[in-house]
Amino acid sequence: MSEHENITDLPRSAEEPIDGGAIPRAGRDAMATLRRAQQLVSDAQAAIEEVSRVMGQETDDGPLTGADARLAIAESERQNLADRLVEVEHQVGRLMTLYVATYQLHASLDPLEVQSTIAEIALNLIGAEQFVLLLVDEEDKGFEVRIIQGGADTRWEQTQRYQGGDPLVDGALADGGLRFGPSEESPALAVVPLRVQDVTVGALVILKLLEHKPALVKEDHDLLDLLGAHAASAIFASRVYSKTARKLRTLESLIRLVNQG
Amino acid sequence: MSLVSGKKILVVEDSRLIHKMYEVMLRPITLLSAFDGREGFEKLRQTPDVDMIILDINMPKMTGLEFLAQIKAIPDLAKIPVLIVSTEGKEEQVARGLQAGASAYLRKPFQREELLRIVNRIEAKQPAA
Repeated sequence: MSEHENITDLPRSAEEPIDGGAIPRAGRDAMATLRRAQQLVSDAQAAIEEVSRVMGQETDDGPLTGADARLAIAESERQNLADRLVEVEHQVGRLMTLYVATYQLHASLDPLEVQSTIAEIALNLIGAEQFVLLLVDEEDKGFEVRIIQGGADTRWEQTQRYQGGDPLVDGALADGGLRFGPSEESPALAVVPLRVQDVTVGALVILKLLEHKPALVKEDHDLLDLLGAHAASAIFASRVYSKTARKLRTLESLIRLVNQG
Repeated sequence: MSLVSGKKILVVEDSRLIHKMYEVMLRPITLLSAFDGREGFEKLRQTPDVDMIILDINMPKMTGLEFLAQIKAIPDLAKIPVLIVSTEGKEEQVARGLQAGASAYLRKPFQREELLRIVNRIEAKQPAA
């Protein structure tokens, strides 16, 4: 820096004679050139100081050298990227789980297979040890207990139909909102209403988690949310398909009979 | 976290959902699928050059532990590393799986990072082909 300081005492203007006009024009031109050079050096100094300010991180032993500073920045950026990579990997894993759950729910048009997939998601992806799947009876619009997994409490095992009485389940079936418990009135950890086009076609009632799964986490909430929508449409589609296929078979049988007669 | 292509893993698992999960998470590894222990054993007899077996415990016809006992009794198959992935997560259940000869034990539900870490770790311990 000192090498630049020895040219800071030049006259403020090239037109301002320092010798009362004795220096010829060529000298004044040279002075103007020097002033421009001084300005360039001054700008360069400012730029260097700015770069040093940005790059130079001071340690207890004093300012870091340029190479050390760059290394420190590179290390910090590497750490930042590594953290982001871990986060992105985690998000990719979550998306894969959601994708697979959705894929498998819509992989079959057999109502029993769809129910089985819901049970597999509850057990393998959510970690539910005890749960109950309720599905609407299309004739009387009541809710049937279709799956009881993991020895759910006797209240569920003794009935083929849900009669009401659990406020979390009743609330979820009534307004289609996801409910989390347990509460004094309900042992359910979560009630996932299965809804399609504003109609509740069933609910998944989670009563107990696997021992090594302490609680439902944010990822589970995403999965339960997805399950509520996709399981409902998968059940709906499979029921419609199964009904249509049955009618088709009946019609084909009738046609065969007519043709034979 | 990436996986080495060209490897072959036999998945013995009764859930189609979990088969699909492995298919998505373990790309580009080649997977052979079996839905119970008996089918898994049959697959292994036909294709014994698998690099690893991912095994569930609760399955129809032949459980994971029965399958494990059978392959550990056959010297050529006994050296294939086995990763148990199960909802059975109590300490004694994990210990039973490891004592039966599994290389590692992963509890369901699992996260992709955990699965890849264990698969890579088992893979790294294997002697180069």
